[in-house]
Amino acid sequence: MRTKLKFGSPKLTAALFILAGVLLFGSSIGGASAALTYFSESYRSQVEMYDIGVTLNENGKGISKRDYQSYSDGQWEEGVGVLLENRWSNENPLKLGTAYEEAVSVTNSGSIDQYVRVSLYKYWVKNGEKRQDLDPDLIELNLANVGSGWIIDASASTAERTVLYYNRILGVGETSVPATNTLTISAKVLDEEEQYNGAEFRIEAEVDAVQTHNAEDAIWSAWGRGVRVNNGSLSLN
Amino acid sequence: MMDMKKRNIFKNIFLVSFAAVLILTAGIGKASAYFTTYARAAGGYRISIDYDTEIEEKFSDWKKRVVIKNKDGSQPVYVRARAFCGEEYSLTYSGDKWTLGKDGYWYYNDILYGGSQTAELVVKIDKIPEGVEEAELNVVVIYEYTPVKYNQDGKPYADWSERGKIE
Repeated sequence: MRTKLKFGSPKLTAALFILAGVLLFGSSIGGASAALTYFSESYRSQVEMYDIGVTLNENGKGISKRDYQSYSDGQWEEGVGVLLENRWSNENPLKLGTAYEEAVSVTNSGSIDQYVRVSLYKYWVKNGEKRQDLDPDLIELNLANVGSGWIIDASASTAERTVLYYNRILGVGETSVPATNTLTISAKVLDEEEQYNGAEFRIEAEVDAVQTHNAEDAIWSAWGRGVRVNNGSLSLN
Repeated sequence: MMDMKKRNIFKNIFLVSFAAVLILTAGIGKASAYFTTYARAAGGYRISIDYDTEIEEKFSDWKKRVVIKNKDGSQPVYVRARAFCGEEYSLTYSGDKWTLGKDGYWYYNDILYGGSQTAELVVKIDKIPEGVEEAELNVVVIYEYTPVKYNQDGKPYADWSERGKIE
């Protein structure tokens, strides 16, 4: 007697079970091949490393960085420095109204091309507390290369924060044009001497980097910002 | 009996399909991870609004030569000076970049930055009675300073209603 495959039959159940098993096995294939690449000496020299890395520079000198090191068990090589370090002292005091060189730029210190953005912050601190009543506009961090390298994201910028996107790919080993050029503490602080005497001005710079592959989606996913990439050129939505 | 069989069949198909969907979607998170990194740095400086000036006087040949100094670390200031003496004497002033004001003070034209000094202001004592020695002379020079302020256009100005007086 010919055996038919009927609905509800043990054979159908077995067939569906086998299908489930195949699907389950198939989902792990990606992981298995990654393990093969990682542990196999013969594959290491042939597989391309996707190590993203970025360095924040001040006046041409690297200050902070964070580079992925896939050859080092996937560790991050990172260092955090200080801006404006040793710039002024009692012997060399800060002069109000004087423009000091302060060029913030970015270097691609990884092994893949990237898009970058820089967020600049400026604010006052007094007696250990951030003072929002003291005017951040008196900390004149002058922007550079706006429109010819950097795009201001006005929607994300405030009196204390400026967000800038680099409008093109930063290639491996490449350094961007500076996003700033000078820092001046306005002499207008003298008009409110009591408020500003003893206050500390602070600036912060943050650089974020993301892969260029599938950049629009990557930037949306990583930074929550809609952008348009056209032949490598980036513009904001 | 047939209805129950049909329910079992559909239930099995549904469970297997659901399992398949779960397995297939388990990989979606990995597929959308992107390579990203960041670097940060911060710095600052405490500002100190201090004023520290001093006067240097030299006297010879019946002339008092006066220089006002603004010390290192001091904020920039405008300065003015004048001399006082007994009625029997008269005084004449001269000096590069010093201008006489209507109030009798001599005003230094330039801003005096920290670590710099004025050009010399020469105060010449005239009509000295005969027999009077230099050591007997009593001519007092005073000076005042005021912080440099800036208007909205960034142009500096002096507000002499706020001043520090030194003798």
